[in-house]
Amino acid sequence: MSRTRRVVVGGATVVLIVAAWDAAVRFGDLPPFLLPSPTRVVATAMAHADSLGAHVATTATEAVLGLALGGVVGWVLAFVTTSVPVTAQVAQPIVVLSQTVPTVVLAPLTILWVGFGLTSKVILVALTVFFPVLISTSAAIRGVDAEHADTVAGLGGSRLHQLTLVRLPASLPSALAGLRIAGTYAVGAAVVSEYLAGESGLGVFIQRSRTAYAVDQMFVGIALIAILAGSLVLAISALQRVATPWATSSVRL
Amino acid sequence: MDQRLLAGEVVSSRGGGVASRSPAGDAALAPAAYSREPGGTPWVRARSLGVAFPSGRTSSVRALDDVSLDVARGSFVAILGPSGCGKSTLLRAIGGLLGPRVAVSGSIDVPVGSDGRRATAWMPQRDGLLPWRRALSNAMVGAIVAGIPRETALPRARRLFQEFGLAGFERAWPHELSGGMRQRVALLRTCMTERPVLLLDEPFGALDPLTRRRMNRWLASLDLAGHGVAGEGTPTGSSSAGRSVVLVTHDVDEAMALADRVVVMSGRPGRVIADIRSRGGGTPFDREAILDALDS
Repeated sequence: MSRTRRVVVGGATVVLIVAAWDAAVRFGDLPPFLLPSPTRVVATAMAHADSLGAHVATTATEAVLGLALGGVVGWVLAFVTTSVPVTAQVAQPIVVLSQTVPTVVLAPLTILWVGFGLTSKVILVALTVFFPVLISTSAAIRGVDAEHADTVAGLGGSRLHQLTLVRLPASLPSALAGLRIAGTYAVGAAVVSEYLAGESGLGVFIQRSRTAYAVDQMFVGIALIAILAGSLVLAISALQRVATPWATSSVRL
Repeated sequence: MDQRLLAGEVVSSRGGGVASRSPAGDAALAPAAYSREPGGTPWVRARSLGVAFPSGRTSSVRALDDVSLDVARGSFVAILGPSGCGKSTLLRAIGGLLGPRVAVSGSIDVPVGSDGRRATAWMPQRDGLLPWRRALSNAMVGAIVAGIPRETALPRARRLFQEFGLAGFERAWPHELSGGMRQRVALLRTCMTERPVLLLDEPFGALDPLTRRRMNRWLASLDLAGHGVAGEGTPTGSSSAGRSVVLVTHDVDEAMALADRVVVMSGRPGRVIADIRSRGGGTPFDREAILDALDS
């Protein structure tokens, strides 16, 4: 019930924004090189459908691989730093540094070190993604219910049992929540690194459109970024439902 | 003797005696023998046990003071006392659950399994069910932790679900179960460890009085300690005469209904002030004696 409502309200908001955009162009008498109408953007997208497919595929691959890499690194790092205090002290300055230096600055360096290809983009996406996963997972591990830990210890459980029976499953909902937040950044990070140096991808497409002053093409790129990021977040939500059924079923009740 | 032993270090084993097993089929399900001779020496033994919790930088709060307690094999002992008297602390000490910062003096002996682990299974006051596991899977936690193979543990868990009145709820999530059912799953999980010493910390303390009465009647009928019908094998036990139960409660009637021995503790710091055994027969306990001890 609430899920249908969410979809309907969300869809209606998008429709309303597009309608307002269309009305602004129609009645505001704006020239297409400043703001093209939605119909014109769709027409441009259709015209470039052949080349767009490859660009979307590149960006999607980078985003998904980066999410997977960053998610795993963040999750593992959360377990290491919460289990061995020294590692947390070692990791902290590195983690903070990795988050304070912007992608625009890191991208040229990464490209210099590992090349123009997929690898540099995946690394840049992973660098953005691991942080929210690390933070939310660490919080979940530190906040593990003492009652659950005591129960397993009271039955005679070892440290390994604490990890496999309590801490790993307890961390999963938060890790996925962190990943969902990261999902919105992932496409952006991929596009920025493509924009700076790339051969294919939505960032490359937008960069080329910009140099050609093809504003309608830039809007096609923007729309595709939004759709891609939205699909990623939806996919992660689906993963949450499948991987943590206990958490969602209690919400549904 | 070291007067400041950590809880985890006071476990000791002695002898290589093989505990007697029931002739029933459950013998095959039983874990390896425990290193205590049946009869004779007590199963669980605390000697002048003192426990103090750190409080602030230098001071500490004494929870237990000079507590000595023997629990014989096959006995059901209730530890009775006012709230905050340290009875839960005593149970946690027996279960090896006191943290490394807690100062423990004296000694505790508990049986040790062939895997070198203390052979106790502790059940918390709140059920402690893991929300990410369904009911049956939560019960299996006991077997997993005790290292009992899944092929033997799973059929046993299913059978116990029947006996505990939980049939049909194997796949329910903990939050879908009522309070009474959650406690039954928690007790079932504790039994699944097949350990010879069960430590129950106010197992029904969080339930409403009506459900609690029902659960106590049911628990009494389970015959956990297995002294009713020797050799027959209890539903929950692997060996009928081998299990000891230590129950912590602040309810006199609960203690009398379930146990065959009631140990009364004083207010903090907890000391044993009375040790009353069942007289057997229709009115097994001297209720007045227990109440007098509590009031003193």
